[in-house]
Amino acid sequence: MPVVTTTELTRRFGPITALDRLTVELPAAGVIGLVGPNGSGKSTLIRILLGLIRPTAGSATVLGSAISSPARYASRVGVLVESPAFIPGLSARANLVSLARLRRLPLARVDAVLAQVGLMGRDREPVKRFSLGMKQRLGIAAALLSDPELLILDEPTNGLDPAGIVEIRELLRELGREGRTVIVSSHQLSEIEAVCDHLVVIRFGELIFSGPMAEMMKRTREHIDIAAEHAADMDRLEAALLAGGWAVTAVDDVLRVAAAADRAADLNRAATAAGITLNRLIVAQDNLEEIFLEMTGRVDGELANGRAAANGKVA
Amino acid sequence: MLAAVWSELTRLRQPRLLVTWFGLTTLFAVMINTIMITFVSGGGSMPPGAPGVAFPTLAELESPSGLLSGLAAASSMFGMVTLSIWAVVTAGDYGSGLIRLLVAAEPRRWRLLAGKVVALVILTAAATTVAALVNVLAVMPAAGAAGISTAAWGTDLVAVVAGAWVNLFLALCVWGVLGLVIATLARSAAVAIAIGVGYVLVVESIVKMLKDVPSDWLLGTILNAVAGGGTATIAYGTALALAIGCVTLGLVVAGAVFVRRDVTD
Repeated sequence: MPVVTTTELTRRFGPITALDRLTVELPAAGVIGLVGPNGSGKSTLIRILLGLIRPTAGSATVLGSAISSPARYASRVGVLVESPAFIPGLSARANLVSLARLRRLPLARVDAVLAQVGLMGRDREPVKRFSLGMKQRLGIAAALLSDPELLILDEPTNGLDPAGIVEIRELLRELGREGRTVIVSSHQLSEIEAVCDHLVVIRFGELIFSGPMAEMMKRTREHIDIAAEHAADMDRLEAALLAGGWAVTAVDDVLRVAAAADRAADLNRAATAAGITLNRLIVAQDNLEEIFLEMTGRVDGELANGRAAANGKVA
Repeated sequence: MLAAVWSELTRLRQPRLLVTWFGLTTLFAVMINTIMITFVSGGGSMPPGAPGVAFPTLAELESPSGLLSGLAAASSMFGMVTLSIWAVVTAGDYGSGLIRLLVAAEPRRWRLLAGKVVALVILTAAATTVAALVNVLAVMPAAGAAGISTAAWGTDLVAVVAGAWVNLFLALCVWGVLGLVIATLARSAAVAIAIGVGYVLVVESIVKMLKDVPSDWLLGTILNAVAGGGTATIAYGTALALAIGCVTLGLVVAGAVFVRRDVTD
């Protein structure tokens, strides 16, 4: 049974359409990545699933129960929505105890989750003294408090240092292996690529892709990054390659040529024929970020906001 | 709902919040009692329309209920503190984003609201007790120094203390609910405090100064009447009924808004 289903789910804020007839099924178990440019509707979707806001149209279920009755599944869902939110004057432990009491959970769960996220020992300090990374860990601890079947984590690695990111990545993998479903919304596409089994891509409130990560990665293609020995030759190199029928894009200080590895020698010959010596020729595979940018049209979140607003959609 | 109350009480154990609440209560109790004793023993009388404070006469002060007359005199001050604290606690959930976690954990939002109200009522009872204790400790030496007779203050002590405590507690709960309602609607403690305190100190004072305007039915006046066990112009029962009506209306409005509104903070 899917852990989340949405059918024609729509949410409008005045003239803005944040979610546009979104129909998607998320499979149970494993880590699911929810990605999209800024303002694509990810947070709106999460808030609707949690009962924080109501849809304008359409329907959805979470763990088999309709979102019109969130009380039926709330105890089975753990959440970290946007930034971690706690009372700064209270200790980490007191903040978790208050949530445990609200959820009618044994206080032993507080110790368990504090240990799980590595905050045991700092748990009696006021949250106001915590770094962003520690607050993030506390947010994840709060999400794990009810030992939930479904975890919904919005930017769980936000503010963490590299070691913390790796730690949380391992935690997410472990949670997925335990048979839980973890929905992770993140802008860190390398993180999503590293931990997710399933991917959902949204843009302008519409579904772009939903499927296994492996299926998404099948879309990857090889490309060759080249650079001329002298920077002054780059324009001439690009013109020569375009004239030769190569698909070329300027990316930072290199030219990215859409070509498989076995065309590298041809490419080198083309440059030599134009009288240009290459000092860089690197064969590489597209990563999730490349595919994502291609799918979402390489739109800048902020710029897209303006464009989409003109179209009546949150970007 | 007990879970929501217990959870809210845990969140209310913030040292700064409690020190502010009980500290201001102590400050106002000492200040008003000192001023009241000095003022009354000097033969002063309150000008009409004085904002927020109503001092007893010398005869009232020397009666058995005079021991705790400072509570009624300072009730508006205590009320503004209570309004502010309830507003800060309510709006704080929105400001910190905690409301997202709370509603996700307990989607039956009326339980959250009821839990908050009950928890704040419990702490309001504690603040009322602090006010009563400090009042007694402050008024005795002040009265002695001013030469005011305290001979009658021990008469019917339990009834006097219980009556004054209950009256102040009820008035403070109404003040608190007012803060909660405005904070729920505005999702801002600053706006709620500005509206509440501004209404009492500015609007009611202006209305009281205007002749031909029935100022006895203003909320602050009604709550002063509840805290004081009634006044010459408003019977206690009438004031209490009006206060209960205000609380009921306020809670219905706050509940309807809180249950139906999107949590976008």
